[in-house]
Amino acid sequence: MGGFPILTAMTFLPLIGALLIVLVRAATAGSRAAADDGRQNRAILMASLIISAATFVLSVAAFLSFDASQPGYQLVEQHAWYGPISYKLGIDGLSISLILLTTFLTPICLLASWNSIDTRVTEYVVAFLVLETFMIGVFTALDLVLFYIFFEAGLIPMFLIIGIWGGKDRIYASFKFFLYTLIGSLLLLVAAIYMIQAAGSADFEVLEQYAFDPGIQTWLWLAFLASFAVKLPMWPVHTWLPDAHVQAPTAGSVVLAGVLLKMGGYGMLRFSLPMFPDASAYFQPMMFALAVVAIIYTSLVAWRQTDMKKLIAYSSVAHMGFVTLGIFAFNETGIQGAILQMLSHGLISGALFLIVGVVYDRMHTREIAAYGGLVGRMPIYAGFFMLFTMANVGLPGTSGFVGEILTMVGGFQAATWAAFGAAFGVIFSAVYMLTLYRRTVFGEITNPHLEDIKDMNRIEWVCIAPLAALTILFGIAPNLIFAVTSGATARIIALMAGGQ
Amino acid sequence: MLPDSLLLFIVLAPGIAALFGLFHKIIGDRIVMLVTTGTVLTAGALSLYQLFAYVAGLGHAGGHEAHAALDAYLTAGPAHGTQELKQHIITLMPWIEVGNFKANWAIRVDALSIVMMAVITGVSGLVHLYSWGYMSEEPHKARFFAYLSLFTFMMLMLVVADNFIQLFFGWEGVGLASYLLIGFWYTKKAPNDASIKAFVTNRVGDFGLALGIMAVFFVFGSVEFGPVLDAIRNNAVVTPVAFAEAAPAREVIMTFLGQRVYALELIGILLFIGAMGKSAQFFLHVWLPDAMEGPTPVSALIHAATMVTAGVYLVCLVSPIYEYTFYAAGMITLVGAVTALYAATVGMAQNDIKRVIAYSTCSQLGYMFFAAGVGAYEAAMFHLFTHAFFKALLFLGAGSVIHGMHHEQDMRRMGGLAKFMPLTYAAMMIGTIAIIGLGIPHTKLGFSGFFSKDAILESTFAGGTAQVMFGQMAFWFGLLAAFLTSFYSWRLIYMTFHGPLTQHGEHHDHGHHDTHESEDVKGEEHPADDHHAHTPHESPMVMLIPLGLLSLGAIFAGFYFYDAFVEANNEAFWAGAIYRAAENHVLHDRHNVPEWVLWAPLVVTLAGFVLASMTYFFNRGVGARIAASGGPLHALFSNKWYFDEIYQATLVRGSAFLGNIFWKADKKIIDGVGPDGAAWFAGFSARRLAKLHTGYLYHYAFVIIGAAIVFGAILWLRAGGAN
Repeated sequence: MGGFPILTAMTFLPLIGALLIVLVRAATAGSRAAADDGRQNRAILMASLIISAATFVLSVAAFLSFDASQPGYQLVEQHAWYGPISYKLGIDGLSISLILLTTFLTPICLLASWNSIDTRVTEYVVAFLVLETFMIGVFTALDLVLFYIFFEAGLIPMFLIIGIWGGKDRIYASFKFFLYTLIGSLLLLVAAIYMIQAAGSADFEVLEQYAFDPGIQTWLWLAFLASFAVKLPMWPVHTWLPDAHVQAPTAGSVVLAGVLLKMGGYGMLRFSLPMFPDASAYFQPMMFALAVVAIIYTSLVAWRQTDMKKLIAYSSVAHMGFVTLGIFAFNETGIQGAILQMLSHGLISGALFLIVGVVYDRMHTREIAAYGGLVGRMPIYAGFFMLFTMANVGLPGTSGFVGEILTMVGGFQAATWAAFGAAFGVIFSAVYMLTLYRRTVFGEITNPHLEDIKDMNRIEWVCIAPLAALTILFGIAPNLIFAVTSGATARIIALMAGGQ
Repeated sequence: MLPDSLLLFIVLAPGIAALFGLFHKIIGDRIVMLVTTGTVLTAGALSLYQLFAYVAGLGHAGGHEAHAALDAYLTAGPAHGTQELKQHIITLMPWIEVGNFKANWAIRVDALSIVMMAVITGVSGLVHLYSWGYMSEEPHKARFFAYLSLFTFMMLMLVVADNFIQLFFGWEGVGLASYLLIGFWYTKKAPNDASIKAFVTNRVGDFGLALGIMAVFFVFGSVEFGPVLDAIRNNAVVTPVAFAEAAPAREVIMTFLGQRVYALELIGILLFIGAMGKSAQFFLHVWLPDAMEGPTPVSALIHAATMVTAGVYLVCLVSPIYEYTFYAAGMITLVGAVTALYAATVGMAQNDIKRVIAYSTCSQLGYMFFAAGVGAYEAAMFHLFTHAFFKALLFLGAGSVIHGMHHEQDMRRMGGLAKFMPLTYAAMMIGTIAIIGLGIPHTKLGFSGFFSKDAILESTFAGGTAQVMFGQMAFWFGLLAAFLTSFYSWRLIYMTFHGPLTQHGEHHDHGHHDTHESEDVKGEEHPADDHHAHTPHESPMVMLIPLGLLSLGAIFAGFYFYDAFVEANNEAFWAGAIYRAAENHVLHDRHNVPEWVLWAPLVVTLAGFVLASMTYFFNRGVGARIAASGGPLHALFSNKWYFDEIYQATLVRGSAFLGNIFWKADKKIIDGVGPDGAAWFAGFSARRLAKLHTGYLYHYAFVIIGAAIVFGAILWLRAGGAN
């Protein structure tokens, strides 16, 4: 790519786009007539779509100039900043795959908002684009301070998206979301300051090589965990997620489940394992226990839900339990499986929230009991819903299966009881997903408002169909992803081994 | 024989045909039906040709010169003592490759898969054809045919897998197709409930299967059949991934859940749990009778001839494992024997024609399992093969009756149908004679069930004599079940086809619980259908032709394939696809059993026939009176030993109870001390403090469960059981 700073461009393009939208909007604010509101909103959404699509193109370009056969960080851009802190960006197989997920989901989120958001549209798209910059930044940053800034700054737009465009309990939900993540962040900050002091640099590559004293590692590891466990989320710090999802607008839920949760897993793979290998090994049984509890506990809770979004939110926690299991297996199968599970969950849960959004936009309720018999009126919708139901259940042939089986295989090698416990998730996921499907899609139409409900429109098609295609593609050819992530996985394992 | 391109066609074309269903709005139902039916019938013809050509290639001499004919087709793998595995693998593309965890999309053909391909595509083709008639009044024909083809594809992927992961793909894929087809009438409650029950119960089995596959990978470092089974055949030294010492494959000891266990025993038991789910064996059988809520062609194809036999196929496929296990093989024998008997007792007391046949399927699967358990895998596969014909025939015949009776399934409202539906009657008679295994020992005179069932009973007796675990018991259970099989099969014939036509009789005179079920089915399959106004009629040709072809199989399949499957030619036929340890001679020893063992099945079969004739033919009404008078045994049988009630009260209610507790714990405890607690702490509100002591049950239950888990975990970890 010569000297072109593609990572910087990719990271900040959404932010610059957001600024442009604000400027143009401010310049034309005086001249707009009230009747033009709708058209203007469409224009703003279209502009944001173009910006996020361009970002996607840039991320694909970055991916194409990325050499998967090299394990280390690539396309590195580094500029001295202040003392031990530098502006350093770079990608490896792990981050580029999560970046692609982010840049792929963001345009879908914006498109999904086409008809459902009609208040404060400018602010909405600005929040989304800013959020995208921060999300990409989390995955590109190779400097601890830079990472921390992106990691924490991402909270704010998400907080606003839930708090302004959310449902009726949005204030409580966004408060809870903020409180949880903030406490984790504070501990992360303290740990980060200590680490930079000790190692004399905030550079990831320096930190990875620096051997922290095992006693100190424990505390640092716990401080990082506080942040990542909330993000992932792990049991028992998961209770913010169902509320946040229920209150968030559809697109907010998609990006929350699709990308924000992945920051927790990314953090564990980027920091906990390579930088604190002794502590990671020490806490392995605890992490397995928490993963297994998350899988069983939240699956059972999911089954008892009466709200569609809450059910899917709880199912997210269970699926993230598999990620924890795979990461802390410390072996290739487990970690590759965890990465695939994160990408797969991003696609599947994103799609499931879109699917809930489709009927929510029509009926304005998420109560499962309000639905039933949709297949008679919405056969295409029912087809997509079935596909993602099965993907969420982990049916072989979908990406959900590959992630689950590999994380369990990895876990089995590390501790048979962990895989044994996690395997209960295989049963329970079928229970809650099929129950949900049956209550909403099958049966007779009992709610008269459903009599003339329309099937998916073109926009909804365009949002969901690509997710369906990728879910199946990665289900039958997951090697496409493993080829990208194998270098990063091997490097993490090597760093762990080197530290112990 | 078949070139690769045709093998690819057989396996993949049904899957592609199923995709046509997606476009039925554009191309119309009829095209979808034509494409799917044509494809599967073609695949069926090819697979049957393959089977016949393969058997013909064995020659009549038996023994080793027959191998020459096969070598052109099935390439020999590495030598395994006397039994050479002959197989042909087409690798399509890699699927999952992470370190040593490698699985390809592949088509692997050996003797087992040749048999299974013929059964699957043969029966499926006929069921497709039959459905043109049976489903002619349905509004969603395209969807139905697409699901059928999807099922066929998945089942084929299962039997041509060359690794456990593709097998699992097919395994769960057929589960999906089964779920979709059981719930085909999606507006009704009963089919929806049944479809979820089927999927979830199968998932319980898959829980075991998945863990079994993990254990396989753990011990052998591979999930491909070749390396894994070869290691066991040759007793090669394997080095497990962790927590176990390198050792000869048959003697590896590993740590599972803190216990030191023989790896093969563990793997064997876990894989068999998967087989129990799919093949509806005792404890996990509850879904199969309910699956009868699906359309009858589906019951014939999926819930009789093919999918439910996948478990038997799996056990035979991994026969090297079970050859070197004691407890796992014993468990198969025990579960199979109990299922064979249990299902037969329940089958006696059912009044829904499809449920009788469903329990009969369950019982016959039990036979296959205990045969495999004692080491007579060939006999198990033989029974799987013949059973596919006569059970599909019985189901399709029952479908013809239901069709002719305008969706009546309760046998108490049938009777005298022989005169209205003579061809269906003839087909059902053939199916019945085949399933009860009528034939004369020492001669080759008999219907197909005779050959396979007697091979099973004799081998089992031989196994019992050789002190195979539970072998003796399995023989007696099997014999008793044969008596019951004969009884309930003839009862079905008499109640349905003989005596006076009672369809127009009283509607309120049926005794007990399954009244409600049959009412449901009657009313729901076709709400618009007025069931009073019609006389029974014979079914159209498109339904009778499959019955005729299956009848041929039910009569002759046993006779024709006897030599190849279990007799002189069997080693050449199986060509190593089924493995027997050097000390396993049951298939041979069955020729040395006492004379009475040969005659016992015939005697009990005739006894069952006589008893059924006494109670349901000559003294019509006696059976009904016995049923009506109740009695604890009848109540037990007709209520299926109360399995559903027990599971509902324990597993389902228990999980729901836990789910509710956890949910409330989220709200009250985690949020209570977490974010809400922070607010509370800041305000130090006495009101909230009081709330923590309200004495709710879930509160205490949660604390108790949580504490138990924590203390249990600590104790366990201290005991060093952390793997």
